Amino acid sequence: MTALALLIAFPMAIAILLLVFRSQSARSVLVLVAAVVIAAGSVSIVFPQLAFMSAAFELPREYVDWTVLGLELALAGFIFFLGIRHVRHFVSLLALLQAGLAVATEVLFGGRIEIATFIAADKFSLVMAGIVGIVGSLIAVYSLGYMKAYHEHHREYRDRRPLFFFLQFLFLSAMFGVFFSNSLPLLLLFWEVTTLCSFLLIGYNGSAESRDKAFLALTLNLLGGLAFAGAILYLSATAGTVELDKLIAMEKGAALIPAAFLAFAGMTKSAQMPFSSWLLGAMVAPTPVSALLHSSTMVKAGVYMVLRLAPVLRGTVTGTVVALIGGITFLIASLIAISQSDAKRVLAWSTIANLGLIVLCGGIGTYEALWAGILLILFHAVTKALLFLCVGTFEQKTNTRDIENMSGLITAMPKLSIMIQIGIAGMFLAPFGMLVSKWAVLRALVDANPLLVVFVVFGSSATLFFWVKWMGKLLEVTKVRPADETGIARRQWAALGALSVLSVGLVGFYPLISAGFIEPYVRSIYGMVSTISQGNLVIMSIMLGMVALFPITFFVYQRKVRVVDAYLGGANVDSSILFQGAAGQVKSMELRNYYFQRLFGEQRLSLFGAIACAALIFVMFGVSL
Amino acid sequence: MQSRRGPPLLQPFYDVAKLFRKETIVVRRSQNFYVYFFFVFIVFTAVLFFTGGDLLLTIFALTLASIFLVLGAYKASSPYSFIGAERELILMMAYEPMVLLAAVGMYLVTRSFIVLDIARSPRLLVLTLPGLFVGFVVILVFKLRKSPFDLSASHHAHQEIVRGITTEFSGRTLALIEIAHWYETTVVLGMVALFFAALPWLAAVAAGVVFFLVILVDNVFARVKWQLALAAAWITAAALGVGNILVVFFLR
Amino acid sequence: MTRSTVSGGEGMQAFKKSPWVLHYDASSCNGCDIEVVASLTPLYDVERLGVVNTGNPKHADIFLVTGSVNAQNLKVLRTLYEQMPEPRVVAAVGICATSGCVFRECYNVMGGVDTVLPVDVYIPGCAARPESIIDGILQAVELLEKKRAYMKSMHGRMKDMAIGRATALDAPEILALQKIVYQNEAEMYDDWSLAPLKQTLQDMRKDFETRVFIKAVVGGKIIGSVRGYMVGETTAHISRLIVHPYFWKQGIGTRLVQEAESNFPRAARFETFTGQKSRHTMEPYQRLGYMPVRQEKVSEHRDRVYFARNREGA
Repeated sequence: MTALALLIAFPMAIAILLLVFRSQSARSVLVLVAAVVIAAGSVSIVFPQLAFMSAAFELPREYVDWTVLGLELALAGFIFFLGIRHVRHFVSLLALLQAGLAVATEVLFGGRIEIATFIAADKFSLVMAGIVGIVGSLIAVYSLGYMKAYHEHHREYRDRRPLFFFLQFLFLSAMFGVFFSNSLPLLLLFWEVTTLCSFLLIGYNGSAESRDKAFLALTLNLLGGLAFAGAILYLSATAGTVELDKLIAMEKGAALIPAAFLAFAGMTKSAQMPFSSWLLGAMVAPTPVSALLHSSTMVKAGVYMVLRLAPVLRGTVTGTVVALIGGITFLIASLIAISQSDAKRVLAWSTIANLGLIVLCGGIGTYEALWAGILLILFHAVTKALLFLCVGTFEQKTNTRDIENMSGLITAMPKLSIMIQIGIAGMFLAPFGMLVSKWAVLRALVDANPLLVVFVVFGSSATLFFWVKWMGKLLEVTKVRPADETGIARRQWAALGALSVLSVGLVGFYPLISAGFIEPYVRSIYGMVSTISQGNLVIMSIMLGMVALFPITFFVYQRKVRVVDAYLGGANVDSSILFQGAAGQVKSMELRNYYFQRLFGEQRLSLFGAIACAALIFVMFGVSL
Repeated sequence: MQSRRGPPLLQPFYDVAKLFRKETIVVRRSQNFYVYFFFVFIVFTAVLFFTGGDLLLTIFALTLASIFLVLGAYKASSPYSFIGAERELILMMAYEPMVLLAAVGMYLVTRSFIVLDIARSPRLLVLTLPGLFVGFVVILVFKLRKSPFDLSASHHAHQEIVRGITTEFSGRTLALIEIAHWYETTVVLGMVALFFAALPWLAAVAAGVVFFLVILVDNVFARVKWQLALAAAWITAAALGVGNILVVFFLR
Repeated sequence: MTRSTVSGGEGMQAFKKSPWVLHYDASSCNGCDIEVVASLTPLYDVERLGVVNTGNPKHADIFLVTGSVNAQNLKVLRTLYEQMPEPRVVAAVGICATSGCVFRECYNVMGGVDTVLPVDVYIPGCAARPESIIDGILQAVELLEKKRAYMKSMHGRMKDMAIGRATALDAPEILALQKIVYQNEAEMYDDWSLAPLKQTLQDMRKDFETRVFIKAVVGGKIIGSVRGYMVGETTAHISRLIVHPYFWKQGIGTRLVQEAESNFPRAARFETFTGQKSRHTMEPYQRLGYMPVRQEKVSEHRDRVYFARNREGA
């Protein structure tokens, strides 16, 4: 317990220190030291000698209860006040309602509830903590360099970096809190802290647009928080417990209603349809925010909750409906991503899609699905963080996020473009991680509910399209531009490099993580476990080895070939892009990707998805009652 | 027809033999490496399939290989190869669902994704999976790059996008692409044979008949637009593929 | 042009079985084009020979050109030719492509494909009949095989190269070689009016009376030549150093110039000139010690660089 509490407390302490010591050099030192400690700490708690896996809190129970309630009310109050100040009354209303529910729970049923374990960590929590610790720390290190350049480019934004880093570390602390909390009110507290951090970070640059988007995110997340509070109230009233492990172990009929509410909370936090708009809106935030909160960590809290509920949802209609919502989200979001040319939007929709896939796993809830879901979280967190940070670096250097402007990046920014390619390959290509995870999902689905396979097969074909055309855009070279990767801080390269190595390395190492953590966890719940067969693992290692040989070709240029221009009907003028047009004019050739706006346009498809999923949410509540 | 003799049956082999004796010319120096990897992975896929490995892994390896070719075409940085690459991606997006659904269907009947197990199954798969079989044959037209769905490259005298994906490849590289397509053809016909694996002689005949059918369709139909191709593939997959799986699932 | 990186054995004669054709209309009236396409129809059915009309130079072996070639499409022809991998042959289809026919003297007409590209097969006719075209393709195919075999055996044959005086009987061959080499020069300077390209056979034969011609022969074919003449009592002028592009970078140019010089024992000084961009022509001279003496502009894109050297010990 000590180590767990330390992991929660340490980032919080760092956060406060970062507010106090506001100079750049102090900040660098603090962040770097904290990053190392947090990363090491989150990994080292796997060793039982350093942590008690599960233990009771030594402090008097009531003391904790009232502290939690007090902090909850303080948080709600702060949000209420924000809502009033910015004339967003709905937000204030939500905060008020949530506070009311918390108070009602404590007053009406507080006396009856005994919480045995506040904080605990099973293997699942450890994996999540490891991911957050390592990825979060790397992003914090990256932010040091990035935010410096951000404020140099954007002098119109107020430099509130101390607040920025305070929020980053507060957020990390809250994430550890979410993963280690067994008491649902405590979990909710940390959950809402992440909501608040998200709100403040989205609105970081102070512009009107970012404030709007921040409130959108706040509203939708608060809705989820409200449902969460409702679940706690219900549990206190009917089951006499508010502990997560007790909920999971409860008899299924009784557990379904709170599970549905908690699943709803998880789905809002992970931006499933119809709540996806807040994640898209959050892209106005600086890139590290997008990477940290909105792809690798905060949204993972949402799917973490759904996966926790997997044993409860398994085999129920509720679970199937949850799976349907996840599946539809995956399919629609993947299709929409085809029509996007803003790189961050592509990544955002892809994130929503992958989260949908994890929700699908949670809804199905079998041991195979659970294994696949956790694997998905693992790979997605690392690879998406890499991609977001790369796009941020590109934007920092060239002031644009459009994929069309990345043409020929392989010559203009070779290191960055290779990292982007590693990220993209990691998202869908065999033998990389996400493919392994999708494979696992397919296998889980054929055993549990084959009809849901339709979402996965159609969605994954869509992902193929938009990822490969992005990769192609990086590789095509129409104008050879001199390589220029200056102006990017060493810390940024360090973070990018570490994430790239991790993305590739995970493909080799995930069997170890699976055997050490994921499988034991799954086995502890279901008594059995699935995995990829030894033979296939060997084959995939061979494939990985072969693919890894490819970069060598960049250094072994064919010497004895004759280089000619591309075919332009013989009308080439000196090169592969200029050609003789009509009336003696020399014209230039341009290559632009397909986006299929009319077929996969965002407006139409997201409306369709929103309606479908909203209807399904009603169904979900309906069948649980 | 009109007393036309046309090229001899072995013509593709003559073509490849000739291509190996041509000079290698490139637009970008690294473009041919993509094709070499495409070829290696196609062979890898074929080995995987014919040694009775995992069917899903075979499909994923095939996708990996095809992506190398597409990336090579992008690398060539020419408008025709670019269009070919984009269209090839559309085609891949089109046929992928059906191929995966076929594998899923086979799993539902034989309870295994391993090709060896599926081949050894005593049940004649095509009887329980007729929809998937017909859908798969439709997709075969895509995979074998035949009209009406040969959008990404042009064989023989079709020249609308010059040579599409293969425009900037010549000589030995082009020969490798051809050979890789032969491997791909055998793998895909092997999957057709899996539907009839319970009776090996029938499987061989079926593969031959289907191959001939696809070639016949190729010579009868003109190329369609990509919208129609994508719609045709997906509706086939949804109707025939999902429909068949529905039936199998409920009748279990 | 670099040497081809070909492989494979001799026996299969693969080009005969699979000649792929690139068909281009260089300002033809379309009569010959229609006949070319007609050869593909079932009646003449050239596809049974494995011929495919690919629209892509990078896939083509035979370049079928119709029309008399004008100023606009000569660049296209050169570009398409450059984008064809070796071994490649050019077939001029129709009398316009062969010589320009009645259009030869027109202001914008070059006068046949061989003014721009090295042509291997001429298929006369107006319009050339499908039978002729097929016959021409078959001859071109034979040439393809021969070229490939020739190029492969080049390494062995180089040591059999003979350099010596040329006679008037060599005039046509040297003229043909001259045109091929100077087509590259013309492309470099974007000037298709170079005198060496326009020289006629009659003119060439007259030159043999006043100039000393040296030729380099491999396997019975002239692959290089140079000429010289005395200017005044003590100066010899060496000019028109040509080596077939297949044989560049082998020191043939240097040997030719040396041989030429040895034919003027009384000359104390040797002179020559080249275009300012003509590296491969300059190198042999520079290797022998020629130094640039002056440079003058001769046309829009072209300067002439004059080189000279004094004989050692003179």
